[in-house]
Amino acid sequence: MLLSPLLAWVVPEYLLYIGNVLMMDAMLALGLDVLLGWSGQFAFAHIAFFGIGIYGTALLDMRAGVPFLLGMPLSALLAAAIGFVIALAAIRLRDVYLALATFAFALSMQWLIRTWDSLTGGPDGLRIAAPALFGIVVGTDRRAFVPMAMLLASMLAAMLHLTRSVLGRSLAAIRDSEHAAAASGIDVRRSKIAAFTISAFCAGVAGGSYTLFGSFIHPDDLGIWQLVQVLTMIVVGGSGSIGGVLLGVGLIGVLPELLRLAPAQWLVWQELAYGLILMLTVMFLPLGLRSVLRRNLRTTVPPRTRRGTPTMEHTAP
Amino acid sequence: MLMLKLLQAAASGVVTGCIYAMIALSVVIIYKATEIVNFAGGELVMVGAWLGLLLVGYFGLPRPVMLLAVPVVLFVLGAAFDRLALGRIARRRPSRRLEHATLVVATIGLSNLLKGAVRGIPYTQEVRRLPPLIGGAPIFVGDVVLERQDLAIVALAAVVMLALWAFFRYTLPGKALRATSQNARAAALVGIPVAGMRMSVWGLAASLSGLAGVMLAPKLLLTPDMGDVVTLAFAAAIIGGFTSLPGCVVGGAILGIMQNLVGTFIAPQAIAVTPFFVIMLVLLLRPQGLFGDTVGVRRV
Repeated sequence: MLLSPLLAWVVPEYLLYIGNVLMMDAMLALGLDVLLGWSGQFAFAHIAFFGIGIYGTALLDMRAGVPFLLGMPLSALLAAAIGFVIALAAIRLRDVYLALATFAFALSMQWLIRTWDSLTGGPDGLRIAAPALFGIVVGTDRRAFVPMAMLLASMLAAMLHLTRSVLGRSLAAIRDSEHAAAASGIDVRRSKIAAFTISAFCAGVAGGSYTLFGSFIHPDDLGIWQLVQVLTMIVVGGSGSIGGVLLGVGLIGVLPELLRLAPAQWLVWQELAYGLILMLTVMFLPLGLRSVLRRNLRTTVPPRTRRGTPTMEHTAP
Repeated sequence: MLMLKLLQAAASGVVTGCIYAMIALSVVIIYKATEIVNFAGGELVMVGAWLGLLLVGYFGLPRPVMLLAVPVVLFVLGAAFDRLALGRIARRRPSRRLEHATLVVATIGLSNLLKGAVRGIPYTQEVRRLPPLIGGAPIFVGDVVLERQDLAIVALAAVVMLALWAFFRYTLPGKALRATSQNARAAALVGIPVAGMRMSVWGLAASLSGLAGVMLAPKLLLTPDMGDVVTLAFAAAIIGGFTSLPGCVVGGAILGIMQNLVGTFIAPQAIAVTPFFVIMLVLLLRPQGLFGDTVGVRRV
């Protein structure tokens, strides 16, 4: 974080671009993990909230002249509000219904963006005008790097705070046993709705942050396939822990860039690769790569020094 | 004229509805047995369709052979996935809540794996279409046009569904499967091999999807993305209540007819969004669907 202005100054533009994408992915993945890893809820709507963040921020800026610093939080709040409504309706039902309702919501949002072309540009996509921060036009990867780092840092701080808060601990308890949590006086319904809303807000912020360095968005970029990529990051790194999610984002996020270096005919196998990685990870490392690192740490580091790393297992009441 | 349009829409709706119902059945029997929503259901349809095309169009096998071979191959594929991936995850059990999400993630992995594998094969680079199951001039009933192939689809679907019903109702393996779905622990206690049952459910579901793929293939262009049709199956299953097999059939028919009516009377581009709205509306207004169990209760 403190190094980021320095990095933004010396590092080549392409690496900064990768850095920006990874930071955006991290925000997206952290938000999804609030649902998946912390409270065990399976929801697909995340990619739709991401889209609301992108299109909301970009359109508010371009069509209504609302600056980024106001437009991005507004879009994220809109995402959170929609998330709240969906959660309210679906949370009282079985898990399967939440998964299916959010699946349908994500696809219908994609359809809406594609069909409402007078507003969103529809299937032609939307060219995003570079937003301005305090009178300085951002738009390039170099200029976006520091604001991105600041956004990610604030989200990380909020997440760390959340893991130790009453809500974070309640969610961990719900994930482990809903009945035990309810019996010990946790309002399961309220906690789940809160998790869903927070998760949607994070996705909205991640979407808004894209407008800082991205110049183009297409409805095809907001499909289930993009969600699967975020899901892969969480699962590979280890869901339910901030460190694990960041690890997964780092490993899986650079995969498309590495594939870009590979011969062009390999690109066709990308989808297969993701599917294989997902399946093999849940088969052999159900707790993600984090669990391997931890196991090795445990043997080398005396237990007392590990207390500083907050993960959900430790904070569970 | 309006009446004719309505009838025609209903007729073609029933045909597509039969296919949706088959896929919905495949999703629902897995859900009933294992509480997993199979997000790879559509990709199994897609694999079945391509396999059918490969056998008929490339190897030149006669169609009845293909109709037998596709479900067999898909049965092995489904059973293998359960045995190799899901069984392994279930045995490891990181934690109960996490396990469920993990199993769903595994089906999403399978979905991408199959899609990616088919996309990688050079044969699929060209958009193809399976030749109709039966040729010949369309039949007129009054003024409504019925394609012979559509009649074949409905007949095939009816036979499969009846066979499935009889299997679950009268045969010993079918009863054992039902027992496993209702209470796996009790089923194990009376000597039913539960793991084997789960495997056969996955096999059976995959064969159903594969057959649906063969039925769908002549009506659609074949692409690696044709598995998106699973959304329609989800919608059909949700209309029926998601735990009811007859519900799938009724839900499939309702959805098929509804899509055709929307396409005829509202707007063609609204067809695509119909299933999403159906899913959300039914979940909001009547989550148990037409025939489903009461919802909101979760077993401890």
